[in-house]
Amino acid sequence: MVRERYLKQLDLLKESVLSLGEMVELVFRDSMTSVIDLDIKLAEKTIALEPEVDKLEEDIEASVFDLLALQQPMASDLRLVVSTLKISADLRRIAGLSINIAKIPGRMEGGHVKPLTDTKRMADIAAFMLENSLRAFETQDVKLAKTAAAMDEEVDKLFYAVWVELIEMMAKDTSIISRATNLLFLIRYLERIADHCCNICESVVYLATAERIKLN
Amino acid sequence: MTEAVQNVSQPQIEVENLNLWYGEKQALKNISMQIPRNSVTALIGPSGCGKSTFIRCLNRMNDLIKNCRIEGKVSIEGKDIYGPDVDVVELRKKVGMVFQKPNPFPMSIYDNVAYGPRIHGANRKDLDGIVEKALRSAAIWEETSDRLKSSALSLSGGQQQRLCIARTLAVNPRTILFDEPTSALDPISTSRIEDLIMNLKKDYTIVIVTHNMQQAARISDYTGFFLMGELIEFGQTRQIFHNPQERSTEDYITGRFG
Repeated sequence: MVRERYLKQLDLLKESVLSLGEMVELVFRDSMTSVIDLDIKLAEKTIALEPEVDKLEEDIEASVFDLLALQQPMASDLRLVVSTLKISADLRRIAGLSINIAKIPGRMEGGHVKPLTDTKRMADIAAFMLENSLRAFETQDVKLAKTAAAMDEEVDKLFYAVWVELIEMMAKDTSIISRATNLLFLIRYLERIADHCCNICESVVYLATAERIKLN
Repeated sequence: MTEAVQNVSQPQIEVENLNLWYGEKQALKNISMQIPRNSVTALIGPSGCGKSTFIRCLNRMNDLIKNCRIEGKVSIEGKDIYGPDVDVVELRKKVGMVFQKPNPFPMSIYDNVAYGPRIHGANRKDLDGIVEKALRSAAIWEETSDRLKSSALSLSGGQQQRLCIARTLAVNPRTILFDEPTSALDPISTSRIEDLIMNLKKDYTIVIVTHNMQQAARISDYTGFFLMGELIEFGQTRQIFHNPQERSTEDYITGRFG
């Protein structure tokens, strides 16, 4: 076996993405709990994690640039390096959107304007998509990536249903506009998070097959 | 073996079931490939894999080696080059070759380029034009036009290699074989030769053996990977470096062996 140091760097890169993924899953889960329970303490704790996520993503980016400049990866190695860069950027965006979610409890004086049943469902699906897209990356499982991405359709449907419902509620009762708007933001963030999970799934398909496809 | 380059409409070179032995040792095993016209085809593989032996079959350079035996068919522009009526000198005029180490003759720059046309009977009054055209095509005219009578050995390594390319071009070949043409050159001379090769494919079919994989990736349209005398994979360069179909190609180009 030759290029041992290089191969170790590649393994390390992959592990870093999985660590970033775990951290982003935690940030997303806690941000949702904080908004459902309107738990400001948990929200603040979650928001405080942002610099750590950013640092992890920046380290991955630096490793990718080093590998490209110094090792000239080819074929599946090149695909791994490129996918890693894209996936870590998507993960950072998911973390950023989760932080936005965690900022909502601080603006929700007076509680939620409606039960969050559909919103929770959206969050559960998005969490499932995130978990499975990361597992698909770890095992280069194209089928799993495609299955995970296919869930995006349900997230989109729920988004439009809740959107319409909230607009109708605001039209009837203008006193809830501020709180309802926060909820609109929330579902918008969830819909975007699911889209980023689809991007990750697309990167996994590219990594495994060199095919560039659209999954959402 | 995958054969991604198949049924080329106008192949410049067609190789069918080529086998080659040096004495008892088989150096090429059943090679078949179609090299498209006006393209750059790179041959890569570890030392001793047969790529240089293969390229030397394309202008019958192996004829000069004792105990070398060849079976199979090599056609260039539709003509079997191992056929009984082939004039080898004429063949090597049509299929030029540039080697790893620049090897200018110990004579003037002008005479180096004029040498081939002279022995092929070029008219004396045409020589100046032929020499200038060849030096221009090899991107070395600007550097040599005011010292054509100087010794070729006074040129730098990179200039000498471009002079050797000019010398090859002067006899109007259709195909040019390059056997590791930049492995003895510095990066700047290397990139000049690479640019030159990419320009030359407009008018010539080019086959290049290289140990530099980035070079193969940069300049070629097609890449063939050789291993232990076999052509393991042959396809578009983009595909070979992006998504090779064979495990051993992948292992070689990602540096897992070699």
